[in-house]
Amino acid sequence: MKRKKIIRYSLIVLFVIVAAAAFYIYKEYNRTHQDTASLKPDYSFEAADFIREFEVNEKESNKKYGDKVIRVKGIVKQVIKDDQGFYTLALGDTSSMSSVRCSIDSMHSKEAATVTKVGMITVKGICSGFNSDELLGSDVILIRGVIDHKK
Amino acid sequence: MKKAFVFLLSIFLTASVFGQRYFTKNGKINFDATSPSSPERVEAVNRSVTCVVDLKTGALQFALLMKGFEFERALMEEHFNENYVESNKFPKSEFKGKIKDVDEIDFTKDGTYKLKVKGDITIHGETKEVETEGKLVVQGGKINADADFNLKLSDFKISIPGLVADKVAKTAKITVSCSLEPLKN
Repeated sequence: MKRKKIIRYSLIVLFVIVAAAAFYIYKEYNRTHQDTASLKPDYSFEAADFIREFEVNEKESNKKYGDKVIRVKGIVKQVIKDDQGFYTLALGDTSSMSSVRCSIDSMHSKEAATVTKVGMITVKGICSGFNSDELLGSDVILIRGVIDHKK
Repeated sequence: MKKAFVFLLSIFLTASVFGQRYFTKNGKINFDATSPSSPERVEAVNRSVTCVVDLKTGALQFALLMKGFEFERALMEEHFNENYVESNKFPKSEFKGKIKDVDEIDFTKDGTYKLKVKGDITIHGETKEVETEGKLVVQGGKINADADFNLKLSDFKISIPGLVADKVAKTAKITVSCSLEPLKN
C-alpha cells in the first residue's frame, strides 16, 4: 500500500516537472524581443560623443556598448523610409558623413513618420556595433529603436 | 553651334556620371535558412548595409554588422549570434568584388540592366569567391541594385548543432536590395 503511494506521488512530481519544462521550452522558443520603449537605457550620449567613443577604441566600445540599450540625443540628418515602410533615423553633425543610425522597430513606425529633418531628437536602441569607412565616415548602428520622449 | 553644345553636354554628363561613386548606408540584406522540415521561418533582415560602387571601374563593396540581423524570435537571434556566426568574435561581414563588363551599362540612361558580379565574401572569418547575377535599375539619377544568391553555411565553417540540423537549411538564400545615391565629395 505504502509502495503504491510512493509510486503515485513520484509520478505526480515527475508529471509536474515535465509539464514545467515543456512550458518553459515553449515560452522560451516563442519569446519575442522586448519593446525597447520599456527598457531602461544602460548609457546615454550625445550622438557625436557616442561616435567618438567608437572612433577612439572600437574594440573596447564594442565590448562595453554591444547589445546594451543606448539613449542617443542628436540632430536628425536623415529620415529614411524603405520600400516596406521601415524607418531608419540618422543622427549627428549635418556637415559630417558620420552618424548614429537607428533602425526603428516596426511597432513604432508611426512615430518615426512624424520626425522631421534637422530637428533635435532622442532615440533609444540596442547597439549592434560600428562601421567605419575612409570614404563614408563612421556609423554606430542601433537596432529595434524607438523615439524616447523622456526628458 | 547646337551640335557642339549637345556634344559638350554629353561629355559633361558622361564625365559626371562615370566619375562618380554611388553609395548607401541603408542597404537591405535578407537571410533565409528555412529548411523544408522547419516548423517556422528561419530568416532575418539587416537594414544597415553599407554599399559603395564605382561606376567607372565597376568596383563594388558591401559591409555589414552581423548583429544588425534582426530575427522575429529572440532565441533564434541569440543562437545565430552566439553559436552559429559568433558575432562577438567576427562582428563584420564584407564583400569586395567587381561588376563584370561595367562599361556596357549606360548609367546616363534610365532603364533596367542585368549584370554579373564576382568577388570575395567574408563571413565568420572565412573568405570565399562568389559569382552572381543581379539587376540594376537606373532612374532619375538614382540606382537600385538587386541580387540574390545562395551560400553554403559549411563553406564559412558555420556548424549547426545536430538537435536542430534538420530545422535549418544547409544553404542560406541571401537577397540584396540597395538604393544607391551619388557620393558627393
